[in-house]
Amino acid sequence: MVHVLGVQLPDSQLARFALTAFYGVGHKTAHRLCARLQIHDRCKVRSLTPHQITELASFLASPSTAPPLPRLPLAGPSYKAPPPSIPLQELRAAFAAASGKGGADPLRNMKIESEAKRVVKDNIAHQRMIGSYVGKRHAMGLPVRGQNTQTNARTARKLNKVDRW
Amino acid sequence: MQPSLILRSGRSAWKGPYFVAFPNLRDALENNVAIRTQARSCTILPNFVGIRFMVHNGKDYMPVTVTQDMVGHKLGEFAHTKKRFTYKMTKNK
Repeated sequence: MVHVLGVQLPDSQLARFALTAFYGVGHKTAHRLCARLQIHDRCKVRSLTPHQITELASFLASPSTAPPLPRLPLAGPSYKAPPPSIPLQELRAAFAAASGKGGADPLRNMKIESEAKRVVKDNIAHQRMIGSYVGKRHAMGLPVRGQNTQTNARTARKLNKVDRW
Repeated sequence: MQPSLILRSGRSAWKGPYFVAFPNLRDALENNVAIRTQARSCTILPNFVGIRFMVHNGKDYMPVTVTQDMVGHKLGEFAHTKKRFTYKMTKNK
């Protein structure tokens, strides 16, 4: 059993699926996390090195302050190296210009555990505060999205609250 | 998790929000007169803030005072259309 940020990850599971144990992380995000931290797809939690575990913990503690990915483009087969006569500053400037437009990093704005739950709590509180239909249904503990209430509202009756979590 | 206001608008962004041009809007802003309306599907725009509406719920008109937080929602969300369900045991046998 490995403990990361308050969540237990069972040893015998693949790391890629064990990471979905975090609230706010699903299969897609877990796969991206493994790619970012260079953990193999078939690597189990018991074969993660302590260094990898600390890297994972530090990344998940605050994804937005993690160091950005270095964008290192691969050369194509017909690439010709520039002659050594060109000064280094020029080459660096050209490289920076070419790699300027990278897509937004989806892992930067990732919210996990208490932050993600806080987002949901805030949304429900907002709906309740303005007095909308959605807020009233949460307060009554009934389905919010137009489901049947004559039968079958068991989950909503059990879980729908204004102060959820 | 996602921001609820923008994503669940349901209407394509290129069409712009659906709203009704109320003729007595300026009058309501200045003199604080309530606007009676049956247009429950009218989106609340930023220039509606501070106005009192009387929104129809099928039978009566419910008072709704618009605040800044209500801007992306529709008028009908604040006028409940059904009475709250209460169980009363009937005396019929």
